[in-house]
Amino acid sequence: MAKKNARANDEVDGKVNLSPMIDCCFLLLIFFVVNATQITVSKDPSVKMPSAVSCTDLKDAKGCIVVNVFADPEKMNDKAREKYYKAYSKYPGTVFGVTDVNGASIGYAINQTQDLADFIKKQRELMESRNIDRKMIRIYLRGDQDTPWERSTAAIRSAAAASVTNIVFGTLPAK
Amino acid sequence: MARHKQIKTEEQGEPEMEISSMIDCCFLLLIYFLVATSLVSEKKLDISIPAQTPESSNQKPPVDPGRITVKTDGSVAWNDDLVVAEAFNPDAKPGTAEYRAQRRLDQLVEQLTQLRNMAESVQTEPIVMLSGAPNTPHQRIVDVMAALAEARIHSIGINTADPE
Repeated sequence: MAKKNARANDEVDGKVNLSPMIDCCFLLLIFFVVNATQITVSKDPSVKMPSAVSCTDLKDAKGCIVVNVFADPEKMNDKAREKYYKAYSKYPGTVFGVTDVNGASIGYAINQTQDLADFIKKQRELMESRNIDRKMIRIYLRGDQDTPWERSTAAIRSAAAASVTNIVFGTLPAK
Repeated sequence: MARHKQIKTEEQGEPEMEISSMIDCCFLLLIYFLVATSLVSEKKLDISIPAQTPESSNQKPPVDPGRITVKTDGSVAWNDDLVVAEAFNPDAKPGTAEYRAQRRLDQLVEQLTQLRNMAESVQTEPIVMLSGAPNTPHQRIVDVMAALAEARIHSIGINTADPE
């Protein structure tokens, strides 16, 4: 009789140990949090990215100075155009879009390449003061697929004027 | 007496915490970050632009530099005479076989690989100059860059003069 009672007791106490699952879950959570923050470069939704066959993963966004090169607003779709006008309302005729340290968008027109070069130079000096390796400082050129090549070369020339010669072309993997 | 005491210890021994809500929250965050990381699908093409162009140095390079010319219509020429890609058909819809075919620059990859092998045989870096017409769409230049990356050439000179 007593034996039967003990058996019933065992059945009631049959619990699953949740702690290893929580351990594992937290580990995965931290892994993905770190991963997500590391790759992030500020992305302007108004740029329609070109695609390339043999592109590689952007493993580390450290040292990347993001320069967006826009196509003409008439070539953008409605949503992209709306966002473009909203973000650069203060800068008419914006062709090059950059983000300053406070996260505010700054736009430069096609004839303001000297200002763009000054901005890149300031960013480079800021990164150098933070002990980022010189080789790691590069321009992440997010050119719209419809943007004329002369605009991209203007951005590259500005970068060269600011002594940044490593250019990373932002692409999407080709389907 | 004994019976009463036993019940009391049993109550003290099992102070239970509600873990299920924490697991709910934890899973939610986990799924959020899983999706967020997979959304970051932007890739890159590394290109470095040498500070000194081959024209400005006095020494003649041991291997002749390769010249890639891209015109406004999207046609690509190698060393000015060999057309490696015909004009781009703007009506081709993305995702179709025709679109994919005209985006691939297999002939250019072949020429670039030859140039790299020649340069490697005399232990130098291959030199490639790229000139694009001002109104060429950025996408076509990225196609050329992809061909360069495929041939493992990561250093190019950009010629800003209009080839047309």
